[in-house]
Amino acid sequence: MQAARLPHPGPATETPPAQAKPEPLLELRAIDKTFGSVAALSGLQASVAPGEFVTVVGPSGCGKSTLFNIVAGLEEPDAGGILRFEGNSCHAADLLGRVSFMPQRDLLFPWRNVVDNAILALEVEGMKRDQARAKALKMLPEFGLAGFEKQYPNQLSGGMRQRVALMRTFLFERDLMLLDEPFGALDALTRAMMQRWLLDVWQKYRRTILFITHDVDEAIFLGDRVLVMTARPGSVKLEQIVDLPRPRRPEIVTSPEFVRLKRTLLDAIEEESMKSFQSSIAQEKTP
Amino acid sequence: MSSPAATSLVEDRTATRSIPVPLRKLARLLLGLAVAAVIWEGAVLLFAIRPYYLPRLSTILMAMAATPRAYIDGFLRTLAETLIGFAAGGAFGVLMGIVFFRVRALREMIFPIFVVSQTIPVIAFGALVVLWFGNTLLAKAIIAFYLTFFPVTVNTLLGLETVDPKQVALMRSFGASNRQLLLRLQLPTALPQIFVALRLAASLSLVGAIVGEWFGDTTGLGVLLLQAMFTENVVAIWGALLAAALLGTGFYAVVAAVERRLVFWSAEQ
Repeated sequence: MQAARLPHPGPATETPPAQAKPEPLLELRAIDKTFGSVAALSGLQASVAPGEFVTVVGPSGCGKSTLFNIVAGLEEPDAGGILRFEGNSCHAADLLGRVSFMPQRDLLFPWRNVVDNAILALEVEGMKRDQARAKALKMLPEFGLAGFEKQYPNQLSGGMRQRVALMRTFLFERDLMLLDEPFGALDALTRAMMQRWLLDVWQKYRRTILFITHDVDEAIFLGDRVLVMTARPGSVKLEQIVDLPRPRRPEIVTSPEFVRLKRTLLDAIEEESMKSFQSSIAQEKTP
Repeated sequence: MSSPAATSLVEDRTATRSIPVPLRKLARLLLGLAVAAVIWEGAVLLFAIRPYYLPRLSTILMAMAATPRAYIDGFLRTLAETLIGFAAGGAFGVLMGIVFFRVRALREMIFPIFVVSQTIPVIAFGALVVLWFGNTLLAKAIIAFYLTFFPVTVNTLLGLETVDPKQVALMRSFGASNRQLLLRLQLPTALPQIFVALRLAASLSLVGAIVGEWFGDTTGLGVLLLQAMFTENVVAIWGALLAAALLGTGFYAVVAAVERRLVFWSAEQ
């Protein structure tokens, strides 16, 4: 199953891994990804520790989605990069079925009601429907969906649909959860409520989360660590630890520490946004 | 949102009527049919239309009631041919749609042959089938099949191709096999399209069965029609026509009802 891989000559192999730190759940080193002549990712380096909530922000078109597709197992990085999951080096395809992935849109199936949408991943795993449904029914109140189990997606509001999709992701019990701008399409009020709710659920279940967002506030409010990506080809420009106390209260967003973090991150993002903006203009000038 | 007083008023009004919606719909349909029958009957009398062009509805119905056996036997025989052809054509069409969706090479090899087969007029094809299978029920069912499988194949393929690649990616990230992908995502997505073709196939399979009977048989609505034509029995022609209309409409209504039950989500969106 595993192809032979060349040892990576990067600096990471020179220094032995620190004993004190727990082994990262997910580790990416020197990840490149090109589509034809377009380099989406170049030399990307990142790691996620077990139980950690890592958020990723970056200018649009920086390859965030490519990064996610690789970690979800849907896309193979170019040869030469190192991908390690639970301490073992692996191919992206090996991650299929091992990471619970929630795409930007809820992608609910219109012919399935709330419960049956939520148990989709369990069914694929081979769990009996009755058993899966019983499990999902117990979780409904926590996701604010009590009493809605028989409703179909077209009868639900945007926030509720998103919670069904999140529930589907949570029920697929994997150590790593990938959330790709799950609240991007929601209005500001619903979004703030969903963020606080997600933190509650995360703290209860202690999953590891990798969370993509456009929104710097959201990245700081949710994350233990924020990764800022560079303009295309994407790599990690800045890794900012967020040492705000948990549980986080909504009013934390106006605290001086929060504002200071936001300043740092915004500066980094703006620099990259300018780059990608200028390169897109340059591309238009040279047809 | 309306005020509570208004909603209770509406509820009261529906409560006093207390007739379920499907029944009310059926009542309206029957009323419509009755009005059409009265207009038919009245117009023939009022404008003194010669029976050669349009006989009175009552004359036709009485002629049918006089020899019910022929109509009932014909109806059941044609129904059997239609149903067998429809079921086989539907199943084969969905299967070929899936095969063409999965295996591109087969699609490029076989699909053009399918298209060519459909350009052969059903009459020419019918003559061949009767040569091969004789005047059997099977021969008629095969002609009905020939008319139905193609639209179902095309629409199944079309429906399968509308599947959102993002949903496929989601299923794959859950570790879904090709079989799970097909049964849980691709076929349900294609179902509304498949039913569009099945409704069409319901009418076409009846055409196939009747045309098949024209190549020679002893029972069937097509036979009744042909016999009436040869003897220039206008009332009998209209009788066979009404029986065929009843069969066609009834079958179509059943398929449409099944569609409403199975594809409940597409009408609501």
